[in-house]
Amino acid sequence: MVFMICLGSGEKRFMTKFRHLSWMMMAAVGLTISIAPSRAQQPDVGDQPGLIADDSYQQDPEWRKQVVYYRTTEAPGTIIVSTAERHLYLVQPGGRAIRYGIGVGRQGFQWQGLMNITKKAEWPDWTPPPEMIQRQPYLPRFMAGGPGNPLGARAMYLGTTVYRIHGTNRPDTIGTAVSSGCFRLVNADVMDLYDRVPVGTKVIVRQKPEL
Amino acid sequence: MRTFRGGLLIGLAVAILVAAVAVTYERYDTRTLKRTVRRGDVLCGVNKGLPGFSYRDDTASMPDNESGWTGFDVDFCRAVAAAIFNDPNKARFIALDANERFKELQSRKVDILSRNSTWSMARELEYDLYFPAVAYYDGAGFMLPRSRNIDSALDLSGSKVCVQSATTTALHLTDYFRANNIKYEEVKFDKLDDVVKAYDSGKCDTLTADVSQLYALRLNLTKPGDHSILPDMISKEPLAPVVRQRDDDWMMIVKWTLYAMINAEELGVTSKNIDEAMKSKKPEVMRLVGTDGNYGEQLGLTKDWAARIIRHVGNYGEMYDRNIGSGSKLKIPRGMNQLWNAGGVQYAPPIR
Repeated sequence: MVFMICLGSGEKRFMTKFRHLSWMMMAAVGLTISIAPSRAQQPDVGDQPGLIADDSYQQDPEWRKQVVYYRTTEAPGTIIVSTAERHLYLVQPGGRAIRYGIGVGRQGFQWQGLMNITKKAEWPDWTPPPEMIQRQPYLPRFMAGGPGNPLGARAMYLGTTVYRIHGTNRPDTIGTAVSSGCFRLVNADVMDLYDRVPVGTKVIVRQKPEL
Repeated sequence: MRTFRGGLLIGLAVAILVAAVAVTYERYDTRTLKRTVRRGDVLCGVNKGLPGFSYRDDTASMPDNESGWTGFDVDFCRAVAAAIFNDPNKARFIALDANERFKELQSRKVDILSRNSTWSMARELEYDLYFPAVAYYDGAGFMLPRSRNIDSALDLSGSKVCVQSATTTALHLTDYFRANNIKYEEVKFDKLDDVVKAYDSGKCDTLTADVSQLYALRLNLTKPGDHSILPDMISKEPLAPVVRQRDDDWMMIVKWTLYAMINAEELGVTSKNIDEAMKSKKPEVMRLVGTDGNYGEQLGLTKDWAARIIRHVGNYGEMYDRNIGSGSKLKIPRGMNQLWNAGGVQYAPPIR
């Protein structure tokens, strides 16, 4: 069984690079070096299981779905995620792309590389893994898919990893870095994207370059 | 006695001659860098009122009279000042009219023109000027109601198009529709205000103008959120800073100031992490911030010239976002002005 681990927590922890640590290490580090809350929106930035998405939430134009100029050598149909920009591009023919606003992984939960969509699910269930429960004990052990589920309306699985492109019940977190490595879109957008991309779609994830 | 007086006269004559030569040299020395350094500030020719690009807020009651200026073009000039003086406030702004701007630059009223000017061959030749590098790729585009659900200019067949008469935009419109064999109807007005009013009241299906302008015009519509701007550009309007020809030291500084900002964005160096970048061991970052090599000195500046720019003004993306992008009112998508490796065409030669 693959756990959904990549939703966000509100606690701000600074960890060294995510992929270099084992899951156990991460949980231990997370529990021990918890830095004092630096933001007012503690403790729940990313997830609020049970909260029904506010569909009337007015998204900043920057995060609203739109067709933009996009020059690339990647084939139409490819997904390119620019985490620094908080944008997900679906490449279209003719030098353009459909651009969606996204929420991305917080510090310590960033990754990049090439993936494929291996599975698609509507209104997915959510089973936070033990590591996440340890970091955020208030989370439910299982949550059936539905409007209050933090995974939102759709999920697209990336490779064999725990990462997903999914919806959200917190549209106000689009444009921020709060997740544990997943990319979240508002439900209307994730449903739009879901209908446009088949299993097997190439997904390229780009991070800001390191100094 | 006679020889003494003669010597005195000759000496005096020589002194006067030297002084005259010095004054003439001083007056006609065309090396802008030297003059700028001696003067202690950079004179920037800007647009008086183009929100996002250069705009003077007269109500700003700042102690420093330059701080009321904001905009992309304004910040670029501040970047040049930061490179030379390590102080972005050493840029002094002079508002210039569109008609006079190139002559004013030619007559050395300003050191640099940073005033939404399209780079064209005629302008370089006619006024003996030089456009060092493209700061912003603009071009004519279309705005239309979101409800029309169109996302390509090729789908505008049969549209009534609002356009300002006697502009290059009007010419590009004709060319574009003719080239694509699309039928349309022009609705022309002399004043831009009337064009916008006509569009807002539904007298036409779409409005054409330069894309940067469309984003600014949209803010003043009754319901800005109901209108979108197509990603297509049907003409080339590369906006660039301008300097005088045969002034190579200065031209190099202006050109590489812009390129340093673009390279900084590509390398992930920002005004926020510049201190960290100074300690970087990555060769490309080291050459940019001046911890390796002496490019700055070769430019006639200091080793850390680019670090000064980034520290005080930021990289290209920061300058863009703050003034015309996501952090501004205009919110113009990066589009062609995105970096070459992230969907756009903004490309700076490497610093090496």
